Amino acid sequence: MTNRPADNTPSMTTALSDKGLSDQPWWVEQWMELINSYRFKKRLERAWTYAREGNVTSIRFEGRRVHARVQGTDEDPYKVKLWLDVLNDEDWGYVLEALTQKARWSAQLLAGIMPADIERAFAASGRRLFPFKLQEVRSECNCPDKANPCKHISAIYFLMGDRFSEDPFVLFQLRGRSRSKLLADLAEQRREVLAAIANKISKENENPNVNHVQPVPPHPSVVDPSLWWQYEGNLDSDLVVITPAMEGDTGLDSAGDLPLAEEPRFPAARQNFLNHLHEQGKTLAQQAMIQAMSAGE
Amino acid sequence: MSLLHATWLPAIRSPTSSGRPALLVWADTWRVATPSGPGSTPAIHPFTLNPKELRKWLKQKELLPEGIIDATACLTLPSRATSIRKQKHPAKTLNDNNSHLFDHEWTGLPLQAGEPIPKQCEWWPWQVQGLAIEPSEATIWLSKLPLSGKHLDLGDELRWWSHLQRWALSLVARGRWLPQVELSKGEGYPHRARWVPLLNREDDRRRLEELAIRLPLVATCALPWREPMGRRSNRTTRLRPEAMKASNPVASCRPRSGRLRVASLLEELVDAQLRQGFKPSTEGLDPLLTTWQEALGSETGVIHLADDEVKRLTTASNHWRESVAGNVAAARACLELFTPKDGDELWELRFALQAEADPTLKVPASSAWAAGSENLQLGEIRVEHPGEALLEGLGRALTVFQPLERGLDNPTPESMELTPAEAFVLVRTAATQLRDIGVGVELPLSLSGGLASRLGLEITAELSDKSQGFTLGENLAWKWELMIGGVTLTLKELELLAGKRSPLVRHKGAWIELRPNDLKNAEKFCSINVDLSLDDALRLTATEGELLMRLPVHRFNAGPRLQTVLEQYHQQKAPDPLPAPDGFIGQLRPYQERGLGWLAFLHRFDQGACLADDMGLGKTIQLLAFLQHLKIEKELKRSVLLIAPTSVLTNWKREARSFTPELKVKEHYGPKRPSTLAELKQSLTQVDLVLTSYGLIQRDIELLENIDWQGIVIDEAQAIKNPNAKQSQATRDIAKPGKSNRFRIALTGTPVENRVSELWALMDFLNPKVLGKEDFFHQRYRLPIERYGDMSSLKDLKARVSPFILRRLKTDKLIISDLPEKVELSEWVGLSNEQKVLYNKAVEETLDAVATAPHGQRHGKILGLLTRLKQICNHPALALKEREIDENFVSRSSKILRLEEILEEIIEAGDRALLFTQFAEWGHLLKAYLQARWRSEVPFLNGSTRKNDRQAMVDRFQEDPRGPQLFLLSLKAGGVGLNLTRASHVFHIDRWWNPAVENQATDRAYRIGQNNRVMVHKFITSGSVEEKIAQMIQKKARLAEDIIGSGEDWLGNLGVNQLRELVALEDN
Repeated sequence: MTNRPADNTPSMTTALSDKGLSDQPWWVEQWMELINSYRFKKRLERAWTYAREGNVTSIRFEGRRVHARVQGTDEDPYKVKLWLDVLNDEDWGYVLEALTQKARWSAQLLAGIMPADIERAFAASGRRLFPFKLQEVRSECNCPDKANPCKHISAIYFLMGDRFSEDPFVLFQLRGRSRSKLLADLAEQRREVLAAIANKISKENENPNVNHVQPVPPHPSVVDPSLWWQYEGNLDSDLVVITPAMEGDTGLDSAGDLPLAEEPRFPAARQNFLNHLHEQGKTLAQQAMIQAMSAGE
Repeated sequence: MSLLHATWLPAIRSPTSSGRPALLVWADTWRVATPSGPGSTPAIHPFTLNPKELRKWLKQKELLPEGIIDATACLTLPSRATSIRKQKHPAKTLNDNNSHLFDHEWTGLPLQAGEPIPKQCEWWPWQVQGLAIEPSEATIWLSKLPLSGKHLDLGDELRWWSHLQRWALSLVARGRWLPQVELSKGEGYPHRARWVPLLNREDDRRRLEELAIRLPLVATCALPWREPMGRRSNRTTRLRPEAMKASNPVASCRPRSGRLRVASLLEELVDAQLRQGFKPSTEGLDPLLTTWQEALGSETGVIHLADDEVKRLTTASNHWRESVAGNVAAARACLELFTPKDGDELWELRFALQAEADPTLKVPASSAWAAGSENLQLGEIRVEHPGEALLEGLGRALTVFQPLERGLDNPTPESMELTPAEAFVLVRTAATQLRDIGVGVELPLSLSGGLASRLGLEITAELSDKSQGFTLGENLAWKWELMIGGVTLTLKELELLAGKRSPLVRHKGAWIELRPNDLKNAEKFCSINVDLSLDDALRLTATEGELLMRLPVHRFNAGPRLQTVLEQYHQQKAPDPLPAPDGFIGQLRPYQERGLGWLAFLHRFDQGACLADDMGLGKTIQLLAFLQHLKIEKELKRSVLLIAPTSVLTNWKREARSFTPELKVKEHYGPKRPSTLAELKQSLTQVDLVLTSYGLIQRDIELLENIDWQGIVIDEAQAIKNPNAKQSQATRDIAKPGKSNRFRIALTGTPVENRVSELWALMDFLNPKVLGKEDFFHQRYRLPIERYGDMSSLKDLKARVSPFILRRLKTDKLIISDLPEKVELSEWVGLSNEQKVLYNKAVEETLDAVATAPHGQRHGKILGLLTRLKQICNHPALALKEREIDENFVSRSSKILRLEEILEEIIEAGDRALLFTQFAEWGHLLKAYLQARWRSEVPFLNGSTRKNDRQAMVDRFQEDPRGPQLFLLSLKAGGVGLNLTRASHVFHIDRWWNPAVENQATDRAYRIGQNNRVMVHKFITSGSVEEKIAQMIQKKARLAEDIIGSGEDWLGNLGVNQLRELVALEDN
């Protein structure tokens, strides 16, 4: 990264500045670094203003491309397209093979987490998941400006990072594999790897747990129809007294920030939304406790 | 009687409506119905209340919900097949055109809850009428339902629902939810904003399992609801019955186990709960969030946004939720920690797949890998994509427990090694966090965090050599050792281990975790000399985890002599029997000998005892035998005071006279009773047992409490259940020891231990220290148990009181073999003042008339007199030909007073009884009275009952799961031919002076098909003609049927003097 004078970097990272970059998922961070490495600061600055003032009216991920509309000087919004080079099937083959080598990668992807060292798996194909330079991000805009990226495209750059945090798998999508396809392919790949092992194991000893023919036993109510109406359970002791959450221990607290890209015109919207939920959550908890207290009266 | 049910109606979402679900409440009731089969639509359930009846009934019971509409739904219910005809054509399709082919091919009736299950049981859909409650009102309604106990009007599943709702409230109170966006289910269906519960926490997951395993399927047996086509749906027309016909095919839902179902029901309740309370505020929100938030607070939750925007919200909200909770799945990843092998430092962590439903069902990771794309069977549980399930869990685990990363470097990891520091982190903090994100953790037993892993004590104790009998306060010979994680250690060893400065240490082969305060506590305990009394031992062995000086007692080894005492005390084994004492006339059954032994056992401890045997097992006899035992042992030195309801005083006197004639019994009752202390003391010389009533104990308390009683016995102890009532206070006061100890014994036939509210007063009478002050009792036990059905409090309470309560049921295996199949009980009763006056007047007037009557009319006059006297013994109202019951109906007749007391026990126990009388007018009065008293129907079968009605009454009594518990019959109409084996009690309210006729009536219940012991209650008014004729019959046992025939005519031939003797009221 180049050394920049302070006045040259106005509010470029405002979208993230509340918390600082370090609180962002690493892939968002990486994306912002990518943008900040761009040489034409003035253009970026104007683009950021554009984005912040809400000139970007829509961003859609459609298949492998990002389609966006940016309201420029013209009456109709300009159409912007962004895309990355897609990995071909052979490349994906390598990537998948590499991904299967470490259970952790699959584990994290299945749990909805983007592994920080994912590029190492892509390195196997000689390709990357993330663009290394901004030039790798292909783009197209129907504005009259000949320069690429124009300010409309640049405006999209800013908002993209945030959108990645809504769904990290968008990156895979841009490289040619949707999340479901990727996970399915991974499972398939793993099966191939496992088939060999499974064969070996079943040869060594017949595995009693894998039983393909065992039928699901009938529901107990079929055997004893009187169970249709029977309930012998007692109230769980922990439900006798209904208690509120410990400080900072609600679902909202653990879920943290809503991974929804910010709408630049309403910079505080997400925070307002969450604040209101927190506030209402407390009221609703109160109401629930009062309701619970009068039970069985 | 009707029984209320509740079933969830999952609405089918359609393009025209948001398809809101509803809770259907419906009630089944007993009716005569013709079996029917489904035609083009499911048949109508013949036993349900229609919405109008249902509303009325619910209103009466104060259970009518708000926000209801009449509804008909299609429910799958177990059904009794009555006939199955061959199908003429194989079923092709189920549309309307050829549906007539199905007519009458199957007929049957739906079963009702509690009905015996027939051999041929099938599941069929039925159209059920009821009321649909919209979800938000349903949450309010469900919150008000009782959380515990059986309720006559409420089906079991309502308790399940109330528990589910309570869980929903708890989730809301704990903030375990997130808002979500749910994509449309298909073309034209709306997108919706939803509130979803987060079930990642260990305790919530366990709860889901429990509620799913116990789910009564009736709660979810509705087929999806189809709305009428072509009609704009709104709230009033949506659930009309005719909707059924148009579009609901004949089909049954399959019984399935319900994890996902229960989770989705919970989601509905949580969603409704939050939706109705949520107040959106759109200030400072962008359009996207505004729409979402508004939809979260709207009734239907429909989101109006462009598809791609909704998709964005859906992805983002799912991603948001996934960071906290995964999906509900059948199995989860599990980490198993193993202690280092000898000489090794590293701990082994193995990966496994574990069933959610049953954590003991586990397979190692290798099996999950080996399964490939196949399903994995964990016991009865089928796990789809086992490899993915395991990986997903491990990925999640990684966010909490970093060291795991090392272990996931190869394609199919099965285990890894942890450093001691990492193992400690896992044991101490990460295990809980991992469980909260839905990853199972299995720690070595000695570290598993339960009470056993804490520092505590192992105690070895025995009665001291000097101990003769035993007293509560006496000190035991004992020794102790420190114990942790199942191994014992000395203080020195503990100091040594603590010095290692490693939290996980090894001792005697077991790994244990030392906590910061352990050493300090142990040192403190060792520094003082503690005595251990028998009282302590009893307490420490009552429930697990009791503390001695703040240290939990992990193990209590009692020596053989102490062990015997403990076992008897905790009733872990039957009490040692004590044979009937000398001077006891009659025989004790084996269980009665054990009862006697138990009374004597607690008496030695100076502990109050409550004998709560079922009615008819002979509590009176056991108590009398106990007093006789004291007398023989020369321990009965002063008088014992027995307090009983007035109605049973006569009975006590009679029983004492016949079983323990050596006991000198005196009544403190009636206007001639002593009124000064001197008189009273005087009258008590040499008296063993004084009988008085609860009423008098209150009135004469000042007098009676100045007597130095040896003991206080209360009969029908439920009389003191209300602690604030004066008679209860007076009774408890008099039992409190003054200068010398008084033994306390309570007798009752009601299941006292189950009536928490009544327990305090009883224990305050017996052993006041056990339950403490009333306020404490109320907060600690009564509220949690009665209101919420808190089992842990109940368990604790039972452990505290159970040493003092002995209750045997006549159905107990041990008892039943001791009992004859038919137990005859004489219920001795007196006469009220009104009865006495009437009785004497009738005798005087008629005797003169008989004496002067011409010979031919004499016979009739005598029988007339006897009949009239019988009527008076029953009730003045009967003798005075009154048509209606008045306010004082009960108090006017001693017989009714007693009858009511006995019936109360029977009804409480859920038993059924036949009541025979020979007077139809009496039957009508009694019916009116009994119905008013128990607010339920009491059928009366008599000579004017039509044949069809007769059969219906009998069928209903025998078959209806919630049929009447009492059945009145006239001796003539009901005495023969009927089969009423469901009754286990028979009452002969008035006597027919002919044993054969009475026996015949008794045999309605006591015959083939009867599975219980039958209790036969015969009322005898003491001192009256009833008693004397009964004696006469007994004496002249030879007066068998052939002599007295089947009527009472033989009585008409008595001479005047004989008659006078017979009818004159003997005042005793």
